[in-house]
Amino acid sequence: MIFMRNTVINKITAVAKENKNIFVIAGDAGFGVLDEFQKNFPARFLNLGVAEQNTISFSAGLALVGYKVFVYNIIPFVMFRCYEQVRNDICYQRLPVTLVGIGSGVTYAPQGMTHYSVEDVAIARTLPNLTILSPCDPQEAEKCAEYAIKNNGPVYIRVAKSGEPTVHQSKIKSIANPIIVKEGHGVAVLFYGSVGVEVIKAVQDLKKLPWVISIPKLQPLNFDFLLKKLKGVHTLITVEEHFVDGGLGSIIGDWLARDRLSFKLKKLGIKNEFIHAIKNNAGMRKHYGIAADNIKIAIREAFRNG
Amino acid sequence: MKKQSLEKRLNQVANEVRKLIIEVACRSKSPHVGPSLSCVDLIVSLYFYELNIDEKNWKNRDIFILSKAHAAMALYAVLALKGIISRKIFDSYFQNNGTLPAHLDRFAGRGIEVSCGSLGHGFNMALGMAYGYKLKKDKRRVFVLIGDGESQEGSVWEGALFAAKLGIANLTAIMDYNNLQGYGRPTEICHFEPVVDKWKAFGWEPYRANGHNFTQIINAFKKPHYGKPKIIIADTQKGKGVSFMENNLKWHYYIVTDEIREKAMQDLCGDIHEEYSN
Repeated sequence: MIFMRNTVINKITAVAKENKNIFVIAGDAGFGVLDEFQKNFPARFLNLGVAEQNTISFSAGLALVGYKVFVYNIIPFVMFRCYEQVRNDICYQRLPVTLVGIGSGVTYAPQGMTHYSVEDVAIARTLPNLTILSPCDPQEAEKCAEYAIKNNGPVYIRVAKSGEPTVHQSKIKSIANPIIVKEGHGVAVLFYGSVGVEVIKAVQDLKKLPWVISIPKLQPLNFDFLLKKLKGVHTLITVEEHFVDGGLGSIIGDWLARDRLSFKLKKLGIKNEFIHAIKNNAGMRKHYGIAADNIKIAIREAFRNG
Repeated sequence: MKKQSLEKRLNQVANEVRKLIIEVACRSKSPHVGPSLSCVDLIVSLYFYELNIDEKNWKNRDIFILSKAHAAMALYAVLALKGIISRKIFDSYFQNNGTLPAHLDRFAGRGIEVSCGSLGHGFNMALGMAYGYKLKKDKRRVFVLIGDGESQEGSVWEGALFAAKLGIANLTAIMDYNNLQGYGRPTEICHFEPVVDKWKAFGWEPYRANGHNFTQIINAFKKPHYGKPKIIIADTQKGKGVSFMENNLKWHYYIVTDEIREKAMQDLCGDIHEEYSN
């Protein structure tokens, strides 16, 4: 099993030998993941401890003197605890800092609500200049890391916890635009991140196949590109391991309203509530209606009502 | 330059800066006159004495970060007097379709090193910059001015706790200790003192100085770092230089009317302050 978090960090480590400006900051997390980078580039590694506000502002300072900084931590500590530092110091100043956030959605279940990241895309969307990337498998994760390394502005990469199976059976070229995973007709399932594996499972034995489209780059989203891929489609189903209101479903809903597009939209996601249920990741997906079976039902319904 | 004449000159510059602040505050009807006036002597000491800042060698200049960025008028006035920003840009402060906002935007004008406005950000960015220069073996130094109210931010103490370990002897923090924040005195609102001991305990090299006495400020700049980040706790007065604004909380907010401007100018255009004239 390949871990997305390792894929991202390994890519950064591989490039750091040539690119002397790459700097990795840990926030007292990354046990076993950052060891290789730390060993090879001790001068360009710092553990700034349990101090998230300082960590983000300090990273902005390093970026101001020319470093390309990657901050590694669980998502609440790169996006929630230090939102204002991300807003003012990194995004407002357009600095080359990449936030690598671990534990998207409820992949940390049952650690409890404090450790879930079901509203981070909604929050990150409020930040101009910030590129939001959410890979669904190790291949996408590697491309996201490459994208962040080349990008001169702020980037947020949200990855799952560990052990993500492969979604893309063939090689992908880039994550800059939505990626067609499977071709279909009439209905399009749009997803991002760790829930991709549920989508793949859902369409496995369907007779009528929908388009399956992965959207790892949520902001800025290339809507023109997406629209071209939606010829003959009447219904869009968004699937996300994130609050149903605020994430991709809302991004698509805003787009449809803005451009007066007539697609039907069905949004599958986690109900916007504090999660008290005690279940593992798979159980939590069932509980909130984003497991393969739920997605399958939604697709069949969309075909019936199309 | 002789000691006496240096002090005299810095005092004259500071007086000009204060006049510019009153003028621009009156024109713009913007608040934060008091906290701008309290740090004038500190910023003047930096730009007209301590900082290596030379137009011909701009890319190697020392960095000054105004972390208590609500005092932006003081920085803008110094940058204008120094010729780093034009008077035209300075005059556009806080105006419709102007260039300079009330809090710092690094894309707004030359010499504005970082965007700042929310307290407890600039201090930590300064630490990152200083560490970056250290790693790059760059001789540039970083100076950061924080407020006493700002020093209640958790982020300041997060940064303070880590800074000593990083060996950033190229960093000097200065606290504008005017003992008047937005709605009271730090020493009454929280257990603020003993402030020098606190920084010492965090591994910093602290010095205390009268923030309106140029000899003391310059001496504090000259004190050694001993391999550590340094902090100068500068005792100041809010509203310094305009008698009726001094040590008066309301001048955190009050607007300078035409009438107030006239009165303030009488103070500032008078003789050089007694403490410097002999």
